[in-house]
Amino acid sequence: MEDNRSKIQKVLTPYLQGYNLKEDEDIFATGLINSLFVMQLVLYIEKEFNITCQGEDLDMDNFRSINKINEFVNGKQVAAGN
Amino acid sequence: MPEYCIPLDSPVPKAYGEEIEKRIFFVSSEILDFNLKIEDEHIHQVELVTQNSIDVASFTEKINFVVTNDVLTQKIFAPKVVWNSQGKREYEKDLFQQLLEKGIANEAAEGQVSFGEPLISLMNLFDRKIVEIVKSLYNAQEYQYPTLIPTQVLDKCGYFSSFPHMLMVATRFHSDLDVYKEFAQEYREKQAVESSLLKYCQNTDYCLPPTMCYHTYHQLKGKTLEKQVITAKGKSFRFESRYHQSLERLWDFTIREIVFLGPKEYVLECRQKLMDATFKLVDELELDAFCEVANDPFFCRPDTAVKIFSQRMMELKYELRMFTEPDHTISVGSFNYHEQFFSDNFELKDSGKEEMFTGCAGFGLERLVYAFLCQYGLDRENWPESIRRETDEKSQ
Repeated sequence: MEDNRSKIQKVLTPYLQGYNLKEDEDIFATGLINSLFVMQLVLYIEKEFNITCQGEDLDMDNFRSINKINEFVNGKQVAAGN
Repeated sequence: MPEYCIPLDSPVPKAYGEEIEKRIFFVSSEILDFNLKIEDEHIHQVELVTQNSIDVASFTEKINFVVTNDVLTQKIFAPKVVWNSQGKREYEKDLFQQLLEKGIANEAAEGQVSFGEPLISLMNLFDRKIVEIVKSLYNAQEYQYPTLIPTQVLDKCGYFSSFPHMLMVATRFHSDLDVYKEFAQEYREKQAVESSLLKYCQNTDYCLPPTMCYHTYHQLKGKTLEKQVITAKGKSFRFESRYHQSLERLWDFTIREIVFLGPKEYVLECRQKLMDATFKLVDELELDAFCEVANDPFFCRPDTAVKIFSQRMMELKYELRMFTEPDHTISVGSFNYHEQFFSDNFELKDSGKEEMFTGCAGFGLERLVYAFLCQYGLDRENWPESIRRETDEKSQ
């Protein structure tokens, strides 16, 4: 199973104002990123990992932390046979 | 009536149908009725019935703009229900028709319904019950607001960029003797008030409020604030175009609103406590209802999809929906979290100069009564004992 965490960290870094986000930390609880960023994040994940997020995928629990996003991406890639 | 078939630029997946249906009447008041033409799981055309002949090219452009800008940019979410009531009920058929026939309700004009008993007593009772909950949960302060709201307040609330299609303006004659004289002369000649009336009206300082909480942010603007809860009831106005229907979707309706201000955790806790207490009340009354994640009806914003996406994904808005028929529900209340949107625009800060967070809950009182009667009918004997006891028997 691929580890995508560094790629995910990379997209978040510009928004974190130097804050050292832990991999299991709630991204949106930091107070550094507002809710309008969430669509941008999901679109980036789709593009970067060549997956489509729809319906049940669009649950905050899949995108709450770097680890959660990594698990979600891996699940989608496995389901797609990548 | 003229009928037209408007082609979409490209076939649209059927899943977007509901989002298109919510917007078509707002494209133009010329549209009297419409139907989405679906083949092979895709929408290919929108069939229109219009009041007058239309310029097909212009309507094709308008409809495709809305589909491209407001609909296709959205991601389709699976419904997310966070609570289901225990009540499962029979439904009264054609309740609104019954109300009209008995003279209890009267369609005064588009989206405007007048009504008498027992609806007045029920509306007052449901309002009292909500206020009792609010006062038992928090040390809430109650206010009575004017009906008019300054246009600049709606501007600060972002209403013109988010919901221009629902705006209702309260204007008046330009205050000048010549204007009155000219109007009086025209009226004497025509003996009718036509749309030319507007040429005499230059004042745009006031609007009709679409909700009560905007008054609260205006009231608190720039003040140093403690965490607090404020509640108010008042008439609210939203232009719903031809979507108005019975008592379930009005242009002119009554909201009981509760506003929460304070640190993020406080606001979210207030919202959750009110949701829990409301669910308890709905269950006590054995009403058939559920609560789900929802979004506001943003229209024609460049970032409509982003706003809707963030509301649904971050669960910023929940709606309490009650059944009026076995397969039809209406939203009777919403529970909202705004992050610091209103604090940014109204300088709502605490004593440490930290921006506050806000949230609100709003209950549509006509809708609550209507849904209750759809589920229990007009015969008092079938109502829950507590409702019978607390409403005047003469109200029947």
